[in-house]
Amino acid sequence: MLQLRQISKSFPGVKALRSVDLDVRAGEIHALCGENGAGKSTLMNILAGNLQPDAGAITINGTDTRLHTPADAFALGIGIVYQHLSLIDSMSVAENIFANQQPVNAWGLIRFHELYRRTQALLKALNLESISPSTTVSSLTPAQRQMVEIAKALSRDPTLFILDEPTAALSEKETVTLFMILRSMRGAGIAIIYISHRLEEIFRLADRVTIIKDGASQGTFEAKALTRPMLISKMVGRELANHAPSPERGGPVVLEVNGLSGRKFRDVSFRLHAGEILGLAGLVGAGRTEIARALFGVDPYRGLVRLHGKAFHPRHPADAIQRAIAYVPEDRQRSGIFPSMSLRDNVIAAALPRVSRRGLYREQIASEKVLAAKASLRISATSLTQPVGLLSGGNQQKVMLARWLMTHPEVLIVDEPTHGIDVGAKYEIYELLEALAQKGTAVLVISSEMPELIGLCSRLLVIREGRISGTLTGSEITEEHIMSLAAI
Amino acid sequence: MLKRILGDRVYSLLALLTLVIIVATFIYPETFPTFGNFRQILLNLSTDTIVAVGMMVLLISGAFDLSVGSVVAFSGCLTAYLLQFAGAPVPVAIAAGLLASVLIGFVNGWLIAYQGINPMIQTLAMMGIVRGLALLVSGSGIQNLPYWFNAIGQSRLLGIQMPVWYMLLVVAVFAFLVNRTILFRRYYYIGGNEKAAELSGIRVKRMQVMAFLLSALLAGVAGILLSSRLGAALPTMGRGLELRVITAVILGGASLGGGQGKIGGALLGALFMGIVGNLMVLARVSGYWQEIILGLILIVTLWADKYLQKRYNAT
Repeated sequence: MLQLRQISKSFPGVKALRSVDLDVRAGEIHALCGENGAGKSTLMNILAGNLQPDAGAITINGTDTRLHTPADAFALGIGIVYQHLSLIDSMSVAENIFANQQPVNAWGLIRFHELYRRTQALLKALNLESISPSTTVSSLTPAQRQMVEIAKALSRDPTLFILDEPTAALSEKETVTLFMILRSMRGAGIAIIYISHRLEEIFRLADRVTIIKDGASQGTFEAKALTRPMLISKMVGRELANHAPSPERGGPVVLEVNGLSGRKFRDVSFRLHAGEILGLAGLVGAGRTEIARALFGVDPYRGLVRLHGKAFHPRHPADAIQRAIAYVPEDRQRSGIFPSMSLRDNVIAAALPRVSRRGLYREQIASEKVLAAKASLRISATSLTQPVGLLSGGNQQKVMLARWLMTHPEVLIVDEPTHGIDVGAKYEIYELLEALAQKGTAVLVISSEMPELIGLCSRLLVIREGRISGTLTGSEITEEHIMSLAAI
Repeated sequence: MLKRILGDRVYSLLALLTLVIIVATFIYPETFPTFGNFRQILLNLSTDTIVAVGMMVLLISGAFDLSVGSVVAFSGCLTAYLLQFAGAPVPVAIAAGLLASVLIGFVNGWLIAYQGINPMIQTLAMMGIVRGLALLVSGSGIQNLPYWFNAIGQSRLLGIQMPVWYMLLVVAVFAFLVNRTILFRRYYYIGGNEKAAELSGIRVKRMQVMAFLLSALLAGVAGILLSSRLGAALPTMGRGLELRVITAVILGGASLGGGQGKIGGALLGALFMGIVGNLMVLARVSGYWQEIILGLILIVTLWADKYLQKRYNAT
């Protein structure tokens, strides 16, 4: 029914898809799986008409097709459930489901009666009688929103139905309902593409599986012929990065975490030693970032944390900075840099007292320190006054590291340190982290890129659904081990 | 050099002001460039400028305050009420007026920073409430204020009325604070990216409360000075002042998005509006036109800014 031939797509610095082939038959559930960043979402966005492939052909029901806009995709009967919700919070469930295709009368006015009747029918099919069509979306739970999102895609009677991680927000009960609907749609001859990295769901649901790794297809397999270890090894099996793991170091314990619990994690305990690089692995959404945010005083938590043996309970990042903890957040653009402010102002942001005397700012001192950091981290910027928003991703990340090095941290937490930056800058950042650990800084690295964790860390904690599912050291640190501990 | 002038509103506004003054001197050589005229211009804009300094701090942090005009009226009226009907000594009455202003600022700041109420809605509501309080306290106005109170705003130094000196003092003190102290420089970070500021260890909420507190305090100072200068407190004082002040501050280089602006810009923005207003009086332009022309000037300034920025980024 759907055929993709040799689809390629590049973004600046990244080859997201390389000559991917995909065949989807009518009346089958076709799973698409791969690690974070393997290219699944890019592929889906091409089918949605949001992105144009650089090369390759899309054939639907035997005719060559170009999908220039999302409207083209709708017209061809492609229905999509996005991972990131596309609902408008302030509007009703019915208006969201029938956004831009409301039933209208001869005057062009919306027939609300009809709108609500059709919404009611859809919600009933999804076992959601408890939601009234006129409820505003903002009052729904995340799981209900996800179901409304699904109803929205179903309302267009798709012949090709694509779901991207639909169960991330769903409970088991709703998942069962969803699977029931998907199976009955399959029975009606609809083609379904199901994107997930939850292996168990793939085995429960899929007829065939296509595996994508580093933007290239690893082949399509009958689900019955696949086993879990086979699937994992095909998803991750790749040559190791040319980066030697750091030798194990066992300095004194700097940070001791006992029974840490918060909104998205439970009962997390570990010790972080001086001079060690400890990794936090896991799927996106497993709760790794939340653990870091709690330790940095951003989110509240329960549990006991000791820093150098003394009890420590930060209520605000300022408390954590006071005790020499630093945190480089994952979302550089939104919560890291000050885009319109100068390189100098960005680097000194967390260490203002260090560039002042008696509360008065000393630009001279700031310039000297920032120039030194700019040189040692090889930040390429035209001047200290250049706005950081104009720098490349790699340089912005170096600015973030420079900001935190200026606070002389004893514990450095970095969240996705190389996300969205080019390879050269990646290695510079790895070397920097190594050098810091060598000097005795305790480093905690959160990353979804397994080669990065394998290359950097002497010890690794794997987080699954908010809990530590395993600890790996030395030669145990392999992609297969990480994946089998991380996968749900 | 040219880039620097165009890139920094303080310099470009200064250049524009000089140009306007030179041209005006040629057109009205008799009436415009006199000591008496300039003294009057400065006196007229002293209230606005003192309020504008607080507003500039708020806009740098990415917020604004619509209740300042009402606070000007209320602090003046409350002080006058205590002087006239409670027999309070002058310093006590002034302290009470300032304290009430600070309290209003605290309520604004606390509800906005800690309870997440939108600054526009909160200060709009406060604008109505406080204007009502001013009416309650003063009725149709309080006149015949004591001599020592009136002396604050009516005496002169070097031939210039005291409110002008107070204004310059406020501008100088805040220019120093915002430019030189790390405490106030944090407002640029908050306005530049609130989330990043919080994660850099800046106690954003506490700083926001302080900004609203300062803005209300300065409005209180301006209100007491104004009623002292007038020798009377009127509940209509400072009506429409909030929009005039925001206009002046935006002209002076602030942006509603936050993170930009200098205290000197607040003075220059107010000065520019004062001089343009004065010229229109000299040219006998009707009062209706003045508002139209000031509105147009604001739009043209912002448009020119966008245009120059686009050109600058393109090269």
